[in-house]
Amino acid sequence: MRARALVRLWSIYGEPLWVIVNMGFPILSSLAFSLLYLSIGAGSYVGFAVLGGVMVSFWSNVLWSMASQFNWDKQDGMFEIYLTSPASITAILIGMSLGGIINTVPSAAIVTAIGWALFHPVVYASWGAVVLTFFLTLAALYALGMTLSSLYLVYGREAESMNNVLQEPVSMFSGVYFPSIGAFSPFPFAVQLAASLIPLTIGMDALRRSLFFGQGFSGVSLDLFLLADLSVAFLIASMVALKALERKGRTDGTISVRIR
Amino acid sequence: MSATDHVSVEVRDLRREFKTKEAPVVALDGISFQVREGEVFGVLGPNGAGKTTTIRILSTLLLPTSGTAKVMGFDVSTEPEKVRHVINMASGAEKAGYDFITAKKNLWFFSQLYGLPSAVAEARIRELSELLGLTKYLDRKFYALSTGYRQRATIARAFINDPKVVFLDEPTIGLDVMTARSIREFLRSEAKRNGRTVMLATHNMAEVEAICDRVAIIDRGKIIAAGTPDSLKRALGAPALVMEVSPPPKSFDFLTGVAGVRGFTSATDEERDLSTVQVVVGDDDAAAEAAKRVQAEGLKVIASWRKPASLEEVFVALVGRGFKEREEQGGD
Repeated sequence: MRARALVRLWSIYGEPLWVIVNMGFPILSSLAFSLLYLSIGAGSYVGFAVLGGVMVSFWSNVLWSMASQFNWDKQDGMFEIYLTSPASITAILIGMSLGGIINTVPSAAIVTAIGWALFHPVVYASWGAVVLTFFLTLAALYALGMTLSSLYLVYGREAESMNNVLQEPVSMFSGVYFPSIGAFSPFPFAVQLAASLIPLTIGMDALRRSLFFGQGFSGVSLDLFLLADLSVAFLIASMVALKALERKGRTDGTISVRIR
Repeated sequence: MSATDHVSVEVRDLRREFKTKEAPVVALDGISFQVREGEVFGVLGPNGAGKTTTIRILSTLLLPTSGTAKVMGFDVSTEPEKVRHVINMASGAEKAGYDFITAKKNLWFFSQLYGLPSAVAEARIRELSELLGLTKYLDRKFYALSTGYRQRATIARAFINDPKVVFLDEPTIGLDVMTARSIREFLRSEAKRNGRTVMLATHNMAEVEAICDRVAIIDRGKIIAAGTPDSLKRALGAPALVMEVSPPPKSFDFLTGVAGVRGFTSATDEERDLSTVQVVVGDDDAAAEAAKRVQAEGLKVIASWRKPASLEEVFVALVGRGFKEREEQGGD
Protein backbone atom coordinates (compact mmCIF):
# COMPACT_ATOMS: atom_id res chain seq x y z
CA MET A 1 0.00 0.00 0.00
CA ARG A 2 2.74 2.41 1.07
CA ALA A 3 4.87 1.50 -1.95
CA ARG A 4 2.06 2.15 -4.43
CA ALA A 5 1.27 5.49 -2.76
CA LEU A 6 4.95 6.46 -3.00
CA VAL A 7 5.12 5.52 -6.68
CA ARG A 8 2.19 7.84 -7.32
CA LEU A 9 3.89 10.69 -5.43
CA TRP A 10 7.26 10.18 -7.12
CA SER A 11 5.59 10.07 -10.51
CA ILE A 12 3.70 13.33 -10.18
CA TYR A 13 6.36 15.33 -8.34
CA GLY A 14 8.98 14.01 -10.73
CA GLU A 15 7.07 15.87 -13.44
CA PRO A 16 5.98 19.19 -11.85
CA LEU A 17 4.25 20.21 -15.10
CA TRP A 18 1.56 17.66 -14.28
CA VAL A 19 0.74 19.46 -11.03
CA ILE A 20 0.15 22.65 -13.03
CA VAL A 21 -1.85 20.86 -15.75
CA ASN A 22 -4.05 19.24 -13.09
CA MET A 23 -4.94 22.67 -11.74
CA GLY A 24 -6.06 24.09 -15.08
CA PHE A 25 -9.60 22.75 -15.35
CA PRO A 26 -10.65 23.22 -11.71
CA ILE A 27 -9.30 26.79 -11.61
CA LEU A 28 -10.97 27.83 -14.86
CA SER A 29 -14.34 26.28 -14.10
CA SER A 30 -14.25 27.63 -10.57
CA LEU A 31 -13.48 31.13 -11.89
CA ALA A 32 -16.27 30.87 -14.49
CA PHE A 33 -18.92 29.93 -11.93
CA SER A 34 -17.67 32.53 -9.45
CA LEU A 35 -18.00 35.25 -12.08
CA LEU A 36 -21.45 33.93 -12.98
CA TYR A 37 -22.60 34.19 -9.35
CA LEU A 38 -21.20 37.73 -9.15
CA SER A 39 -22.79 38.82 -12.43
CA ILE A 40 -26.29 37.77 -11.31
CA GLY A 41 -25.89 39.52 -7.99
CA ALA A 42 -25.49 36.33 -5.98
CA GLY A 43 -22.05 37.15 -4.65
CA SER A 44 -22.80 35.57 -1.30
CA TYR A 45 -22.81 32.16 -3.02
CA VAL A 46 -19.43 32.57 -4.71
CA GLY A 47 -17.94 30.24 -2.10
CA PHE A 48 -19.94 27.39 -3.66
CA ALA A 49 -17.94 27.79 -6.85
CA VAL A 50 -14.61 27.88 -5.05
CA LEU A 51 -15.51 24.79 -3.04
CA GLY A 52 -16.66 23.16 -6.29
CA GLY A 53 -13.26 23.81 -7.85
CA VAL A 54 -11.56 22.10 -4.92
CA MET A 55 -13.77 19.03 -5.07
CA VAL A 56 -13.61 18.80 -8.87
CA SER A 57 -9.83 18.45 -8.52
CA PHE A 58 -10.38 15.31 -6.47
CA TRP A 59 -13.19 14.01 -8.71
CA SER A 60 -10.96 14.39 -11.82
CA ASN A 61 -8.18 12.57 -9.99
CA VAL A 62 -10.58 9.75 -9.11
CA LEU A 63 -11.70 9.41 -12.72
CA TRP A 64 -8.43 9.79 -14.54
CA SER A 65 -5.89 8.44 -12.07
CA MET A 66 -7.91 5.83 -10.21
CA ALA A 67 -10.71 4.48 -12.37
CA SER A 68 -8.59 4.25 -15.51
CA GLN A 69 -5.37 3.15 -13.88
CA PHE A 70 -5.88 -0.62 -13.89
CA ASN A 71 -6.99 -0.48 -17.49
CA TRP A 72 -3.74 1.29 -18.40
CA ASP A 73 -1.83 -1.12 -16.19
CA LYS A 74 -3.46 -4.00 -18.05
CA GLN A 75 -2.36 -2.59 -21.40
CA ASP A 76 1.21 -2.14 -20.16
CA GLY A 77 1.46 -5.60 -18.62
CA MET A 78 1.65 -4.16 -15.09
CA PHE A 79 -1.61 -5.73 -14.02
CA GLU A 80 -0.17 -9.16 -14.75
CA ILE A 81 2.73 -8.35 -12.44
CA TYR A 82 0.33 -7.37 -9.68
CA LEU A 83 -1.71 -10.53 -10.15
CA THR A 84 1.23 -12.91 -10.20
CA SER A 85 2.60 -11.38 -7.00
CA PRO A 86 1.29 -12.25 -3.54
CA ALA A 87 0.31 -8.60 -2.94
CA SER A 88 -3.32 -7.76 -2.28
CA ILE A 89 -4.86 -5.89 -5.20
CA THR A 90 -7.11 -4.03 -2.78
CA ALA A 91 -4.03 -2.82 -0.87
CA ILE A 92 -2.55 -1.62 -4.17
CA LEU A 93 -5.75 0.30 -4.91
CA ILE A 94 -5.79 1.85 -1.44
CA GLY A 95 -2.17 2.89 -1.91
CA MET A 96 -3.08 4.40 -5.25
CA SER A 97 -5.93 6.32 -3.55
CA LEU A 98 -3.71 7.70 -0.79
CA GLY A 99 -1.11 8.77 -3.35
CA GLY A 100 -3.85 10.33 -5.47
CA ILE A 101 -5.25 12.31 -2.54
CA ILE A 102 -1.84 13.65 -1.53
CA ASN A 103 -1.07 14.49 -5.16
CA THR A 104 -4.26 16.48 -5.53
CA VAL A 105 -3.79 18.53 -2.36
CA PRO A 106 -1.51 21.16 -4.00
CA SER A 107 -3.97 21.63 -6.84
CA ALA A 108 -6.92 21.91 -4.42
CA ALA A 109 -4.97 24.28 -2.18
CA ILE A 110 -4.09 26.58 -5.07
CA VAL A 111 -7.71 26.65 -6.29
CA THR A 112 -8.72 27.58 -2.72
CA ALA A 113 -6.06 30.27 -2.42
CA ILE A 114 -6.88 31.87 -5.78
CA GLY A 115 -10.65 31.71 -5.11
CA TRP A 116 -10.30 33.22 -1.65
CA ALA A 117 -7.91 35.93 -2.82
CA LEU A 118 -10.07 36.99 -5.74
CA PHE A 119 -13.61 36.64 -4.40
CA HIS A 120 -13.37 36.71 -0.59
CA PRO A 121 -16.27 34.29 -0.04
CA VAL A 122 -18.04 34.64 3.28
CA VAL A 123 -17.42 31.61 5.47
CA TYR A 124 -19.49 30.74 8.50
CA ALA A 125 -18.02 27.35 9.31
CA SER A 126 -18.39 24.61 11.81
CA TRP A 127 -14.83 23.42 11.25
CA GLY A 128 -15.08 20.08 12.97
CA ALA A 129 -18.01 19.09 10.76
CA VAL A 130 -16.25 20.52 7.68
CA VAL A 131 -13.10 18.49 8.25
CA LEU A 132 -14.93 15.24 8.99
CA THR A 133 -17.28 15.71 6.02
CA PHE A 134 -14.32 16.49 3.75
CA PHE A 135 -12.41 13.35 4.71
CA LEU A 136 -15.46 11.11 4.56
CA THR A 137 -16.30 12.53 1.13
CA LEU A 138 -12.79 11.73 -0.05
CA ALA A 139 -13.04 8.23 1.43
CA ALA A 140 -16.33 7.58 -0.37
CA LEU A 141 -15.08 9.16 -3.62
CA TYR A 142 -11.88 7.13 -3.72
CA ALA A 143 -13.74 3.96 -2.74
CA LEU A 144 -15.99 4.67 -5.74
CA GLY A 145 -12.79 5.09 -7.79
CA MET A 146 -11.63 1.67 -6.59
CA THR A 147 -14.90 0.11 -7.71
CA LEU A 148 -14.74 1.86 -11.08
CA SER A 149 -11.13 0.76 -11.48
CA SER A 150 -12.20 -2.85 -11.03
CA LEU A 151 -15.11 -2.51 -13.44
CA TYR A 152 -13.06 -0.68 -16.07
CA LEU A 153 -10.91 -3.79 -16.36
CA VAL A 154 -13.82 -5.30 -18.25
CA TYR A 155 -14.23 -2.38 -20.62
CA GLY A 156 -10.68 -2.15 -21.89
CA ARG A 157 -10.01 0.86 -24.03
CA GLU A 158 -13.62 2.01 -23.86
CA ALA A 159 -12.83 3.08 -20.31
CA GLU A 160 -11.46 6.40 -21.50
CA SER A 161 -14.69 7.22 -23.32
CA MET A 162 -16.54 6.18 -20.19
CA ASN A 163 -14.55 8.77 -18.23
CA ASN A 164 -15.43 11.48 -20.70
CA VAL A 165 -19.08 10.46 -20.47
CA LEU A 166 -19.02 10.50 -16.67
CA GLN A 167 -17.04 13.65 -15.95
CA GLU A 168 -19.46 16.44 -16.85
CA PRO A 169 -22.80 14.78 -15.92
CA VAL A 170 -21.41 13.83 -12.53
CA SER A 171 -20.16 17.38 -12.00
CA MET A 172 -23.60 18.72 -12.87
CA PHE A 173 -25.78 16.27 -10.94
CA SER A 174 -23.53 16.14 -7.91
CA GLY A 175 -23.91 19.89 -7.47
CA VAL A 176 -20.27 20.76 -7.63
CA TYR A 177 -20.99 24.40 -8.51
CA PHE A 178 -24.62 24.78 -7.34
CA PRO A 179 -26.90 22.86 -4.97
CA SER A 180 -28.31 19.82 -6.73
CA ILE A 181 -30.24 18.33 -3.82
CA GLY A 182 -32.42 19.96 -1.19
CA ALA A 183 -34.61 23.08 -1.27
CA PHE A 184 -32.49 25.03 -3.78
CA SER A 185 -32.05 22.17 -6.28
CA PRO A 186 -33.26 22.83 -9.84
CA PHE A 187 -33.81 19.05 -10.33
CA PRO A 188 -36.98 16.99 -9.71
CA PHE A 189 -37.01 14.68 -6.68
CA ALA A 190 -36.28 11.51 -8.70
CA VAL A 191 -33.12 13.05 -10.16
CA GLN A 192 -32.06 14.26 -6.71
CA LEU A 193 -32.53 10.76 -5.35
CA ALA A 194 -30.45 9.23 -8.14
CA ALA A 195 -27.79 11.93 -7.74
CA SER A 196 -27.54 11.06 -4.03
CA LEU A 197 -25.96 7.74 -4.96
CA ILE A 198 -22.88 9.72 -6.02
CA PRO A 199 -20.86 10.38 -2.88
CA LEU A 200 -19.80 13.75 -4.26
CA THR A 201 -23.44 14.92 -4.16
CA ILE A 202 -23.89 14.16 -0.48
CA GLY A 203 -20.41 15.41 0.36
CA MET A 204 -20.81 18.71 -1.51
CA ASP A 205 -24.19 19.39 0.08
CA ALA A 206 -22.90 18.67 3.59
CA LEU A 207 -19.73 20.70 2.97
CA ARG A 208 -21.75 23.68 1.79
CA ARG A 209 -23.97 23.52 4.85
CA SER A 210 -21.15 23.10 7.32
CA LEU A 211 -18.75 25.57 5.65
CA PHE A 212 -21.09 28.40 4.67
CA PHE A 213 -24.13 27.97 6.94
CA GLY A 214 -22.42 26.85 10.15
CA GLN A 215 -24.21 23.52 10.50
CA GLY A 216 -22.44 21.33 13.06
CA PHE A 217 -22.27 17.56 13.45
CA SER A 218 -25.96 17.30 14.29
CA GLY A 219 -26.90 19.18 11.12
CA VAL A 220 -24.86 16.93 8.82
CA SER A 221 -25.06 13.67 10.79
CA LEU A 222 -27.23 11.92 8.21
CA ASP A 223 -24.79 12.95 5.45
CA LEU A 224 -21.83 11.70 7.48
CA PHE A 225 -23.62 8.42 8.09
CA LEU A 226 -24.41 8.04 4.38
CA LEU A 227 -20.86 8.90 3.35
CA ALA A 228 -19.43 6.36 5.78
CA ASP A 229 -21.89 3.76 4.47
CA LEU A 230 -21.01 4.53 0.86
CA SER A 231 -17.27 4.28 1.65
CA VAL A 232 -17.69 0.82 3.13
CA ALA A 233 -20.14 -0.29 0.43
CA PHE A 234 -17.85 0.81 -2.42
CA LEU A 235 -14.81 -0.74 -0.74
CA ILE A 236 -16.61 -4.07 -0.42
CA ALA A 237 -18.00 -3.77 -3.96
CA SER A 238 -14.47 -3.17 -5.23
CA MET A 239 -13.09 -6.21 -3.39
CA VAL A 240 -15.91 -8.45 -4.62
CA ALA A 241 -15.63 -7.12 -8.18
CA LEU A 242 -11.86 -7.65 -8.22
CA LYS A 243 -12.16 -11.22 -7.01
CA ALA A 244 -14.93 -11.99 -9.51
CA LEU A 245 -13.08 -10.31 -12.38
CA GLU A 246 -9.85 -12.11 -11.57
CA ARG A 247 -11.68 -15.44 -11.65
CA LYS A 248 -13.46 -14.48 -14.87
CA GLY A 249 -10.22 -13.22 -16.39
CA ARG A 250 -8.41 -16.47 -15.55
CA THR A 251 -11.29 -18.50 -16.98
CA ASP A 252 -11.85 -16.48 -20.15
CA GLY A 253 -8.23 -15.50 -20.72
CA THR A 254 -8.95 -11.77 -20.59
CA ILE A 255 -6.45 -10.65 -17.95
CA SER A 256 -3.98 -9.76 -20.64
CA VAL A 257 -4.48 -7.81 -23.81
CA ARG A 258 -1.79 -10.00 -25.37
CA ILE A 259 -3.27 -13.46 -25.74
CA ARG A 260 -1.14 -15.76 -27.83
CA MET B 1 24.46 -26.09 -7.96
CA SER B 2 23.01 -28.02 -10.87
CA ALA B 3 19.63 -29.55 -11.65
CA THR B 4 18.42 -31.92 -8.93
CA ASP B 5 15.86 -34.70 -8.98
CA HIS B 6 13.34 -32.53 -7.16
CA VAL B 7 10.48 -31.64 -9.46
CA SER B 8 9.56 -27.97 -9.39
CA VAL B 9 7.03 -27.87 -12.25
CA GLU B 10 4.74 -30.75 -13.04
CA VAL B 11 2.19 -30.62 -15.84
CA ARG B 12 -0.24 -33.43 -16.61
CA ASP B 13 -2.69 -33.67 -19.54
CA LEU B 14 -3.01 -29.91 -19.60
CA ARG B 15 -5.66 -28.66 -21.99
CA ARG B 16 -6.82 -25.14 -22.64
CA GLU B 17 -9.54 -24.00 -25.01
CA PHE B 18 -10.45 -20.42 -25.84
CA LYS B 19 -13.99 -19.56 -26.82
CA THR B 20 -14.33 -17.66 -30.06
CA LYS B 21 -17.36 -16.57 -32.08
CA GLU B 22 -16.79 -19.35 -34.60
CA ALA B 23 -15.62 -22.40 -32.65
CA PRO B 24 -13.49 -23.11 -29.58
CA VAL B 25 -9.77 -22.82 -30.28
CA VAL B 26 -7.61 -25.49 -28.70
CA ALA B 27 -4.44 -23.76 -27.50
CA LEU B 28 -3.12 -26.70 -25.49
CA ASP B 29 -4.13 -30.24 -26.29
CA GLY B 30 -3.18 -32.42 -23.33
CA ILE B 31 0.49 -31.63 -22.72
CA SER B 32 2.53 -33.26 -19.94
CA PHE B 33 6.05 -32.58 -18.74
CA GLN B 34 8.18 -32.12 -15.63
CA VAL B 35 10.88 -29.59 -14.86
CA ARG B 36 13.48 -30.18 -12.18
CA GLU B 37 14.92 -27.73 -9.67
CA GLY B 38 17.88 -25.80 -11.06
CA GLU B 39 17.00 -26.65 -14.62
CA VAL B 40 16.69 -24.25 -17.55
CA PHE B 41 13.76 -25.62 -19.50
CA GLY B 42 12.69 -24.28 -22.88
CA VAL B 43 9.30 -24.48 -24.53
CA LEU B 44 10.07 -24.01 -28.20
CA GLY B 45 7.60 -23.57 -31.01
CA PRO B 46 6.32 -21.23 -33.71
CA ASN B 47 3.93 -18.37 -32.92
CA GLY B 48 0.55 -19.75 -31.95
CA ALA B 49 1.91 -23.12 -30.84
CA GLY B 50 0.71 -22.73 -27.23
CA LYS B 51 3.93 -21.59 -25.50
CA THR B 52 2.53 -18.43 -23.98
CA THR B 53 -0.63 -20.23 -22.89
CA THR B 54 1.54 -22.74 -21.02
CA ILE B 55 3.50 -19.98 -19.27
CA ARG B 56 0.31 -18.09 -18.41
CA ILE B 57 -1.30 -21.13 -16.82
CA LEU B 58 1.81 -21.88 -14.79
CA SER B 59 2.10 -18.28 -13.62
CA THR B 60 -1.56 -18.31 -12.44
CA LEU B 61 -2.86 -15.87 -15.04
CA LEU B 62 -5.00 -18.44 -16.80
CA LEU B 63 -6.97 -21.48 -15.70
CA PRO B 64 -6.64 -24.73 -17.61
CA THR B 65 -9.76 -26.20 -19.18
CA SER B 66 -8.67 -29.60 -17.86
CA GLY B 67 -5.58 -31.32 -16.53
CA THR B 68 -3.34 -30.30 -13.67
CA ALA B 69 -0.29 -28.09 -13.25
CA LYS B 70 1.75 -27.82 -10.09
CA VAL B 71 4.56 -25.43 -9.20
CA MET B 72 6.70 -26.40 -6.21
CA GLY B 73 3.92 -28.80 -5.27
CA PHE B 74 1.15 -26.17 -5.32
CA ASP B 75 -1.73 -26.52 -7.75
CA VAL B 76 -1.98 -23.43 -9.98
CA SER B 77 -5.77 -23.77 -10.24
CA THR B 78 -6.67 -24.24 -6.60
CA GLU B 79 -3.70 -22.71 -4.76
CA PRO B 80 -2.71 -19.68 -6.82
CA GLU B 81 -1.85 -17.61 -3.73
CA LYS B 82 0.74 -20.18 -2.63
CA VAL B 83 2.18 -20.42 -6.14
CA ARG B 84 2.59 -16.62 -6.29
CA HIS B 85 4.89 -16.65 -3.27
CA VAL B 86 7.46 -18.84 -5.02
CA ILE B 87 7.39 -17.62 -8.62
CA ASN B 88 7.97 -14.58 -10.74
CA MET B 89 7.51 -13.99 -14.42
CA ALA B 90 8.49 -11.61 -17.20
CA SER B 91 7.70 -11.14 -20.82
CA GLY B 92 9.81 -9.64 -23.56
CA ALA B 93 6.74 -7.80 -24.82
CA GLU B 94 5.87 -6.05 -21.56
CA LYS B 95 6.58 -2.46 -20.60
CA ALA B 96 6.62 -3.27 -16.92
CA GLY B 97 7.66 -0.11 -15.17
CA TYR B 98 6.37 3.31 -14.29
CA ASP B 99 7.88 5.72 -16.79
CA PHE B 100 8.31 8.76 -14.59
CA ILE B 101 10.24 7.15 -11.77
CA THR B 102 13.76 5.75 -11.88
CA ALA B 103 14.64 2.14 -12.63
CA LYS B 104 15.81 1.78 -9.02
CA LYS B 105 12.54 3.05 -7.57
CA ASN B 106 10.63 0.79 -9.93
CA LEU B 107 12.61 -2.21 -8.71
CA TRP B 108 12.10 -1.19 -5.08
CA PHE B 109 8.36 -0.91 -5.74
CA PHE B 110 8.23 -4.41 -7.25
CA SER B 111 10.17 -5.79 -4.29
CA GLN B 112 7.45 -4.41 -2.02
CA LEU B 113 4.83 -6.50 -3.81
CA TYR B 114 6.64 -9.46 -2.23
CA GLY B 115 7.01 -7.80 1.16
CA LEU B 116 10.82 -7.53 1.08
CA PRO B 117 12.23 -5.31 3.86
CA SER B 118 13.72 -2.20 2.25
CA ALA B 119 17.30 -3.04 3.28
CA VAL B 120 17.01 -6.51 1.74
CA ALA B 121 15.42 -5.03 -1.36
CA GLU B 122 18.23 -2.48 -1.74
CA ALA B 123 20.87 -5.20 -1.47
CA ARG B 124 19.01 -7.36 -4.00
CA ILE B 125 18.68 -4.44 -6.43
CA ARG B 126 22.43 -3.77 -6.12
CA GLU B 127 23.31 -7.41 -6.70
CA LEU B 128 20.98 -7.93 -9.67
CA SER B 129 22.01 -4.64 -11.26
CA GLU B 130 25.66 -5.60 -11.09
CA LEU B 131 24.99 -9.00 -12.60
CA LEU B 132 22.90 -7.51 -15.39
CA GLY B 133 25.12 -4.47 -16.08
CA LEU B 134 22.38 -2.09 -15.01
CA THR B 135 24.13 -0.28 -12.15
CA LYS B 136 24.99 2.88 -14.13
CA TYR B 137 21.42 3.27 -15.29
CA LEU B 138 19.58 2.71 -12.01
CA ASP B 139 18.98 6.41 -11.42
CA ARG B 140 17.57 7.05 -14.87
CA LYS B 141 13.84 7.42 -15.28
CA PHE B 142 12.31 4.34 -16.79
CA TYR B 143 11.20 6.09 -20.00
CA ALA B 144 14.77 7.26 -20.60
CA LEU B 145 16.18 3.72 -20.71
CA SER B 146 16.94 2.09 -24.05
CA THR B 147 15.05 -1.09 -25.01
CA GLY B 148 17.99 -3.22 -23.93
CA TYR B 149 18.33 -1.65 -20.49
CA ARG B 150 14.57 -1.73 -19.97
CA GLN B 151 14.68 -5.44 -20.63
CA ARG B 152 17.58 -5.86 -18.22
CA ALA B 153 15.45 -4.05 -15.62
CA THR B 154 12.53 -6.34 -16.46
CA ILE B 155 14.71 -9.39 -15.94
CA ALA B 156 16.00 -7.92 -12.66
CA ARG B 157 12.36 -7.48 -11.62
CA ALA B 158 11.65 -11.13 -12.37
CA PHE B 159 14.37 -12.18 -9.90
CA ILE B 160 13.80 -9.50 -7.26
CA ASN B 161 11.93 -11.78 -4.84
CA ASP B 162 14.48 -14.58 -5.00
CA PRO B 163 11.90 -16.86 -6.69
CA LYS B 164 12.17 -20.63 -6.81
CA VAL B 165 10.73 -20.72 -10.33
CA VAL B 166 10.91 -18.00 -12.98
CA PHE B 167 8.70 -18.05 -16.06
CA LEU B 168 9.93 -16.05 -19.02
CA ASP B 169 8.09 -15.44 -22.27
CA GLU B 170 10.41 -14.49 -25.16
CA PRO B 171 12.84 -12.75 -22.77
CA THR B 172 15.24 -11.54 -25.45
CA ILE B 173 12.83 -10.68 -28.24
CA GLY B 174 13.86 -7.58 -30.17
CA LEU B 175 17.19 -7.19 -28.37
CA ASP B 176 20.60 -6.70 -29.92
CA VAL B 177 22.96 -9.67 -29.94
CA MET B 178 25.16 -8.47 -27.05
CA THR B 179 22.26 -7.67 -24.72
CA ALA B 180 20.54 -10.96 -25.56
CA ARG B 181 23.74 -12.86 -24.85
CA SER B 182 24.31 -11.10 -21.55
CA ILE B 183 20.71 -11.84 -20.43
CA ARG B 184 21.08 -15.50 -21.43
CA GLU B 185 24.31 -15.80 -19.46
CA PHE B 186 22.59 -14.29 -16.44
CA LEU B 187 19.63 -16.69 -16.71
CA ARG B 188 21.86 -19.73 -16.97
CA SER B 189 24.03 -18.62 -14.09
CA GLU B 190 20.99 -17.91 -11.85
CA ALA B 191 19.74 -21.45 -12.45
CA LYS B 192 23.08 -23.12 -11.85
CA ARG B 193 24.37 -20.89 -9.04
CA ASN B 194 21.18 -20.60 -7.03
CA GLY B 195 19.29 -23.75 -7.95
CA ARG B 196 16.45 -21.74 -9.46
CA THR B 197 14.22 -23.24 -12.10
CA VAL B 198 14.04 -21.09 -15.21
CA MET B 199 11.36 -21.93 -17.72
CA LEU B 200 11.27 -19.98 -20.93
CA ALA B 201 8.91 -19.92 -23.85
CA THR B 202 10.62 -18.89 -27.04
CA HIS B 203 10.65 -19.32 -30.78
CA ASN B 204 14.37 -18.55 -30.78
CA MET B 205 16.15 -21.85 -31.42
CA ALA B 206 19.61 -20.42 -30.85
CA GLU B 207 18.48 -19.25 -27.42
CA VAL B 208 17.29 -22.72 -26.49
CA GLU B 209 20.51 -24.29 -27.72
CA ALA B 210 22.58 -21.74 -25.82
CA ILE B 211 21.03 -22.03 -22.36
CA CYS B 212 18.45 -24.80 -22.01
CA ASP B 213 19.22 -28.07 -20.27
CA ARG B 214 16.10 -29.58 -21.81
CA VAL B 215 13.51 -28.46 -24.29
CA ALA B 216 9.94 -29.39 -25.20
CA ILE B 217 9.08 -28.66 -28.81
CA ILE B 218 5.46 -27.68 -29.10
CA ASP B 219 3.30 -27.41 -32.19
CA ARG B 220 -0.44 -26.75 -32.38
CA GLY B 221 -0.91 -27.32 -28.68
CA LYS B 222 0.94 -30.65 -28.50
CA ILE B 223 4.45 -31.53 -27.38
CA ILE B 224 5.99 -33.23 -30.38
CA ALA B 225 9.42 -33.87 -28.89
CA ALA B 226 11.26 -33.36 -25.62
CA GLY B 227 14.81 -33.91 -24.47
CA THR B 228 18.18 -32.23 -24.30
CA PRO B 229 18.99 -30.14 -27.39
CA ASP B 230 21.88 -32.52 -28.13
CA SER B 231 19.78 -35.68 -27.92
CA LEU B 232 17.14 -34.20 -30.22
CA LYS B 233 19.79 -33.20 -32.76
CA ARG B 234 21.55 -36.55 -32.57
CA ALA B 235 18.30 -38.34 -33.42
CA LEU B 236 18.28 -36.59 -36.79
CA GLY B 237 20.99 -38.74 -38.30
CA ALA B 238 22.46 -36.90 -41.28
CA PRO B 239 23.25 -33.18 -41.66
CA ALA B 240 20.71 -31.14 -43.59
CA LEU B 241 21.23 -30.26 -47.26
CA VAL B 242 21.04 -26.57 -48.08
CA MET B 243 20.69 -25.45 -51.72
CA GLU B 244 20.48 -22.06 -53.39
CA VAL B 245 18.42 -22.51 -56.54
CA SER B 246 17.34 -20.24 -59.35
CA PRO B 247 14.81 -19.23 -60.53
CA PRO B 248 12.73 -19.42 -57.35
CA PRO B 249 10.04 -22.08 -57.83
CA LYS B 250 6.44 -21.56 -56.68
CA SER B 251 6.98 -24.25 -54.08
CA PHE B 252 9.28 -27.10 -53.14
CA ASP B 253 6.38 -29.48 -52.55
CA PHE B 254 7.89 -31.83 -55.15
CA LEU B 255 10.47 -32.78 -52.51
CA THR B 256 7.79 -34.34 -50.34
CA GLY B 257 7.78 -37.59 -52.30
CA VAL B 258 11.56 -38.08 -52.30
CA ALA B 259 12.53 -41.13 -50.23
CA GLY B 260 14.40 -40.21 -47.04
CA VAL B 261 13.39 -36.52 -47.10
CA ARG B 262 11.85 -35.74 -43.72
CA GLY B 263 10.88 -32.15 -44.39
CA PHE B 264 12.10 -28.85 -45.70
CA THR B 265 11.93 -25.11 -45.16
CA SER B 266 12.58 -22.46 -47.78
CA ALA B 267 12.95 -18.72 -48.25
CA THR B 268 13.04 -16.61 -51.39
CA ASP B 269 15.44 -13.71 -52.00
CA GLU B 270 13.69 -11.70 -54.70
CA GLU B 271 16.58 -9.27 -55.09
CA ARG B 272 18.95 -12.09 -55.98
CA ASP B 273 16.22 -14.03 -57.80
CA LEU B 274 16.88 -17.25 -55.92
CA SER B 275 15.42 -19.48 -53.25
CA THR B 276 17.24 -21.18 -50.42
CA VAL B 277 15.86 -24.55 -49.45
CA GLN B 278 16.97 -26.47 -46.39
CA VAL B 279 16.16 -30.15 -46.68
CA VAL B 280 16.19 -32.41 -43.63
CA VAL B 281 17.25 -35.89 -44.70
CA GLY B 282 17.50 -39.27 -43.05
CA ASP B 283 20.82 -40.15 -44.73
CA ASP B 284 23.31 -39.05 -47.40
CA ASP B 285 21.52 -40.97 -50.18
CA ALA B 286 18.36 -38.97 -49.54
CA ALA B 287 20.39 -35.75 -49.82
CA ALA B 288 21.74 -36.80 -53.21
CA GLU B 289 18.25 -37.80 -54.32
CA ALA B 290 16.81 -34.44 -53.24
CA ALA B 291 19.50 -32.55 -55.22
CA LYS B 292 18.71 -34.62 -58.32
CA ARG B 293 15.01 -33.95 -57.94
CA VAL B 294 15.60 -30.19 -57.79
CA GLN B 295 17.58 -30.31 -61.01
CA ALA B 296 14.92 -32.49 -62.61
CA GLU B 297 12.45 -29.66 -62.00
CA GLY B 298 14.57 -27.44 -64.29
CA LEU B 299 16.05 -25.44 -61.44
CA LYS B 300 19.71 -24.47 -61.39
CA VAL B 301 21.56 -25.28 -58.15
CA ILE B 302 23.84 -22.28 -57.63
CA ALA B 303 25.39 -23.51 -54.41
CA SER B 304 24.84 -26.34 -51.98
CA TRP B 305 26.31 -27.37 -48.65
CA ARG B 306 25.60 -29.58 -45.65
CA LYS B 307 24.55 -27.93 -42.42
CA PRO B 308 25.16 -29.45 -38.97
CA ALA B 309 21.93 -30.33 -37.22
CA SER B 310 20.22 -27.65 -35.16
CA LEU B 311 16.85 -27.53 -33.45
CA GLU B 312 15.47 -25.93 -36.59
CA GLU B 313 16.10 -29.16 -38.48
CA VAL B 314 14.62 -31.13 -35.59
CA PHE B 315 11.38 -29.16 -35.92
CA VAL B 316 11.36 -29.55 -39.72
CA ALA B 317 11.94 -33.29 -39.38
CA LEU B 318 9.04 -33.60 -36.94
CA VAL B 319 6.51 -31.36 -38.65
CA GLY B 320 7.68 -31.42 -42.26
CA ARG B 321 7.95 -27.61 -42.45
CA GLY B 322 9.82 -24.77 -40.70
CA PHE B 323 8.43 -22.29 -38.15
CA LYS B 324 7.68 -19.68 -40.81
CA GLU B 325 5.66 -22.03 -43.01
CA ARG B 326 3.90 -23.42 -39.93
CA GLU B 327 2.87 -19.94 -38.84
CA GLU B 328 1.60 -19.19 -42.35
CA GLN B 329 -0.46 -22.39 -42.29
CA GLY B 330 -2.02 -21.12 -39.04
CA GLY B 331 -1.49 -22.65 -35.65
CA ASP B 332 -3.78 -22.36 -32.69
